[in-house]
Amino acid sequence: MIRVSNLRKIYRVPQRAPGLGGAFRSLFSREVREVRAVDGVSFEIAPGERVGFLGPNGAGKTTTLKMLAGLLVPTAGELSVLGHVPARRDVKLLERITLVMGQKQQLLWDLPPRDTFELNRALYQIPDAEFRETVEELTRLLELAPLLGRPTRNLSLGERMKCELAAALLHRPAVLFLDEPTIGLDVVMQLQVRQFIAAWNARFQSTVLLTSHYMDDVQALCPRVIVIARGTLRYDGSLKGLVERHQPLRRVRLRPVSGFSGALPAPFRAPVGAGPGRRGVPGESDEESLEADHVADVPPGDVGALLHAALTLCPGADVRIEEPPLEEVFARLFRAEAGA
Amino acid sequence: MTPPRVLTALPTLFRIGAAEMTAYRAEVLIWILTSTMPLVMLAIWDAVAADGPVGGLSQADLARYFTVTLVVRQLTSCWVVWELNQAIRTGSLSPQLLRPLSPLWFHAVRHWVALPLRIAVLLPVVALLVVWRPEMALPADPLHLAVAALASLLAWLVVFAFQVAFGALAFWSGQSLGLFNLWFGLWTIFGGYLMPLSVMPEAVQAVATYLPFRSMLSVPVEIAAGLLPPAAWPGALALQGAWVLGAGVIARLAWTRGLARYGAFGA
Repeated sequence: MIRVSNLRKIYRVPQRAPGLGGAFRSLFSREVREVRAVDGVSFEIAPGERVGFLGPNGAGKTTTLKMLAGLLVPTAGELSVLGHVPARRDVKLLERITLVMGQKQQLLWDLPPRDTFELNRALYQIPDAEFRETVEELTRLLELAPLLGRPTRNLSLGERMKCELAAALLHRPAVLFLDEPTIGLDVVMQLQVRQFIAAWNARFQSTVLLTSHYMDDVQALCPRVIVIARGTLRYDGSLKGLVERHQPLRRVRLRPVSGFSGALPAPFRAPVGAGPGRRGVPGESDEESLEADHVADVPPGDVGALLHAALTLCPGADVRIEEPPLEEVFARLFRAEAGA
Repeated sequence: MTPPRVLTALPTLFRIGAAEMTAYRAEVLIWILTSTMPLVMLAIWDAVAADGPVGGLSQADLARYFTVTLVVRQLTSCWVVWELNQAIRTGSLSPQLLRPLSPLWFHAVRHWVALPLRIAVLLPVVALLVVWRPEMALPADPLHLAVAALASLLAWLVVFAFQVAFGALAFWSGQSLGLFNLWFGLWTIFGGYLMPLSVMPEAVQAVATYLPFRSMLSVPVEIAAGLLPPAAWPGALALQGAWVLGAGVIARLAWTRGLARYGAFGA
């Protein structure tokens, strides 16, 4: 389905010193710096899989997606999507894939989305009955009815993104490359787009490769994740496995009963808030209350012993054991990469 | 670029192109009105020819020449070079490239759908010119008009292909429009836009005959204005045909090689 082998993309970026002098010098000698955007990445994706493609800014995610969609020609390596070499941009491949870019649009700016749909019907040669059925389905799933007749320029970012998704799926592509499809959307719209992608994948068994900075997207949609940083592959496997590898600790939160003023054993950290006794303060939000918690990050096997020790010192305390938030796992992973 | 796909998509492309043009009607109208240089040149050359023919052309001949130039210029000018330049530098070409039909078709259709509006704007201007110089005698013979229309179509193909080639230079350089402006300057001189080629020194004329610029404007103007005898039409059309091929090959090379360098920036 998708096969990527030792993929490389090296950009040659012209360098110019600032100011008039720099502009003048660049006329005679042009300095060029090589940027290794993707540097030897390999992976395979089976039909119908939903894969999260993750990494910090500048990791090479979008460059890889653009090579997979045939927009960029790789510097080296092999690429195959549905049996085609994407860079050749065969019509047979283009009519079976789509690339949705959260920051680039295909909708005609001054015309209603319905006109872009009509244009795509003609360009992808979609039979009339299939076109009508797909538009109806997309309109229902994404709640597009009130949007289709308004000029694109008059739609909000979220409304536009939903119409972008619909325009990109009219030809029922077998492979969806989604580059930050929920960027800039509010939480309600993010959830709607997320649910839609899951429903679409279930309905058409299409393969999804998705990049996103929103961990909720990844958690909801992608059983498998591929992580790249500085153009090289750092992890390819289940999301659960990634969490275990990079944040194997459990977070224990302990909120003492009112009046407790002692110290808890290491590795508990003292509360960041005003100290004990804040629990249940009227008008204080849950988040503020959390600041009154003593917190410890420990391996799963040590949780029992730590709790025993802590509850002996502080009987009757509220205790919560949490998996670490995914954002923290990635922040830790990417920080380690930056320092590597 | 499979022909069947283009043919089945053409009606929709036309409809969408027309809808877009309606959305941008004010902009298109202003653009049309800026191409009035032939009227300025007519005023100048009319004054020069007041005392007698210039290069064998009387005031009536010059009025006919520049009236026809105004029309042919409107029929053959396009703006694909600016659109490609913008699309390549900003990365907005990316969504167009994902579709299974070359975006160049859409640019071509945009030109064709604007033709009725262009002609509608031109008609009253041409009528005024005819009232001003009734002796100019514009061509009316159907065969004559048909040959002039064919020459205009060939001229547009050369213009379009060169604009695609210059537009594609944006794959290599951010300054490609500067080169195009230089090219445009040469076209105004050697294409017969500022003056008929026949008023130029003979040595310059000999060179200008074989440059691409003549095929881009002057040939249809010379045919329509009656400056080229019918016996010379096949030769002139063949020359245009050769430039269509030449410019087409250059455009194709620039476009396909450029695509291989495309950076797809901006997203």
